[in-house]
Amino acid sequence: MKHLSVYLRLGLRNLWLHPARTGLTVLALAIGIAALTFLTAMNDGWMQNIRENFVLTEVGHLQVHARGFEQSHSIRDHIRDPRPLLQRLTGMQGVRAVTTRIRVSGLASAAGANAGVLVSGVDIERERQVSRLSTFVGQGRWFVAGEERAVILGDVLAERLEVGPGDKVVLMAASPGGDIMSEVFRVRGLIHSGVMDIDNLMALVPIASARRWLALDEGAVTDIVIRARAFADVNPLQRALRTEWDGQGLEVLRWMDIDPMAEQWARFADAYTWIVLAVVILVVLAEVLNTMLMSMHDRIREFGLMSALGTAGSEVFAMVMWETVILVCLGGVLGFALGGWLSVYYGQHGLDLSRFATAFSFMYMSPVVYPLLTLEGCARILGAAVVGAMIAGLYPAWKASRLEPAVAMREV
Amino acid sequence: MNQDHMLICARGLVRRFHSGQEEVAALNGVDLDLPKGAFSVLAGRSGSGKTTLLNILGTLDMPDAGTLSISGRDVLTFSAAERADFRLYRMGFIFQAYNLIRVLSARENVAYVLQLRGVPKAERLRRADAWLAEVGLAGLETRRPDQLSGGQQQRVAVARALASEPDIVLADEPTANLDSHSGESLMHLMRELNGKRGVTFLIASHDPVAMDAARELVMMEDGRIVERIGQ
Repeated sequence: MKHLSVYLRLGLRNLWLHPARTGLTVLALAIGIAALTFLTAMNDGWMQNIRENFVLTEVGHLQVHARGFEQSHSIRDHIRDPRPLLQRLTGMQGVRAVTTRIRVSGLASAAGANAGVLVSGVDIERERQVSRLSTFVGQGRWFVAGEERAVILGDVLAERLEVGPGDKVVLMAASPGGDIMSEVFRVRGLIHSGVMDIDNLMALVPIASARRWLALDEGAVTDIVIRARAFADVNPLQRALRTEWDGQGLEVLRWMDIDPMAEQWARFADAYTWIVLAVVILVVLAEVLNTMLMSMHDRIREFGLMSALGTAGSEVFAMVMWETVILVCLGGVLGFALGGWLSVYYGQHGLDLSRFATAFSFMYMSPVVYPLLTLEGCARILGAAVVGAMIAGLYPAWKASRLEPAVAMREV
Repeated sequence: MNQDHMLICARGLVRRFHSGQEEVAALNGVDLDLPKGAFSVLAGRSGSGKTTLLNILGTLDMPDAGTLSISGRDVLTFSAAERADFRLYRMGFIFQAYNLIRVLSARENVAYVLQLRGVPKAERLRRADAWLAEVGLAGLETRRPDQLSGGQQQRVAVARALASEPDIVLADEPTANLDSHSGESLMHLMRELNGKRGVTFLIASHDPVAMDAARELVMMEDGRIVERIGQ
């Protein structure tokens, strides 16, 4: 740009001419940008945590069902032979682990009470690689290999049924043919996940026991659950599998397709991000506008002089805009440094909000938040700060560029 | 006088200002021809229209009526950007006060206009230092305006006005804020530069020191030129 060096020199020196005013503005900008950088990192970390908790607790990154199962949740819509599908998934790019399940709604009866249950027949080894269900066992233990007719219950469900490890429970559910099937299971453990649906309703049984109890064919499953290597792999995997298995009567669903709440959380996070950005723009705009208007008022005669000497209006405009940019850069660098440091520190050590947040575990929120400073988050804040600065600088710059030299020189 | 040799040729300049409901004619039909190499002082009481005329001749303000040609160019048809460009290349200014950019040193103030004109750094600094020496400020190049006396600041303004080798230097009450010794010294300097280098000066002033130094006095009254002495 023409005469950039003189604009930068003038901008820096004019700001330095009022060190207290400039310092206060830079400090306010820095605190604002630091706070917003940290809040954005908190939000990103929080959402990452919720997504991970949601996916790893039970749902997985992707699920493959017989077409219609997600709608009907009926065991009639099951995959009869998942072996070729599992074979294809093994070693597929982006796939970390795969497991199978049989899901069915039913009724649990114990000596003292009855309760509705969501029964999940799980592959006791593969399940450990896909979900965290096995880690939630508090009382009792996880299944052992070859174990028959064992059940692990959600702790709230067990309380309702008044049973504990070692007690018997009768599970009842409809078979694919529509017959009511019942089976006696012995409670081996209780799980506490903090997620209401799991703790209040879930009954886990070994998948082989579930097949026998529900008279399903050998190998039949309702769910193939996929753990991806990263969230970024989810969409490409869904596209690839849908293309490959088109016409085989299957549905390939992402984690956010399975639970609308998860999708709503993602939208909420987006909305929150936009609110944060709007706040950044407003903070920057107010700070910079105030300072630049004061500075312009002080320097009307100087702008008049510059104009009289032959400085074009567009150059006066550029000069004021550069001064704005310098101001925001100073505040931005300091703010990013401070906000970045806080985000990295708490990203490593975690911010313990257990005093406030344990009640929200049903929403997959961990009480310890690890802020996540992403390049995208930084770019958003930086972009918002620059946009705010530009908007704030426009009016004073436009005013300065439109000054009539003869009028400006008369100003006292 | 042959108008082809005129640097400035103004006809029927009128400028009105509004003061509340009232309209005041600051210029009331001014005709002025100024030849190259002139050293003229616009004299008259406060409110006689000196500064208004100087502003219009300097393209800092526009008249409500009249014509104005400077160096053969009809400057009243120029856009704001063209007027700024014209001032940059053809004119030098010395004002009564607030003459300098306060965050720039004496050298940088003189070099500022040269920088806008795209003169390379080494050349503009050399010329700035040479002009500061010419106006008696050698050794004070790095001082900021607030580190210079009023007289020294006006000398920097003279150096800046002349460094870009303009067709004409317009000075508005240049001695008004100076003591009599500094005022005499400044006028002597400008007169010397006029004689030595042939630079055209038009100075608006009611200071007797300035009037004494003039080769021509242009007397103004109620927005009109009423007399020219020593033409």
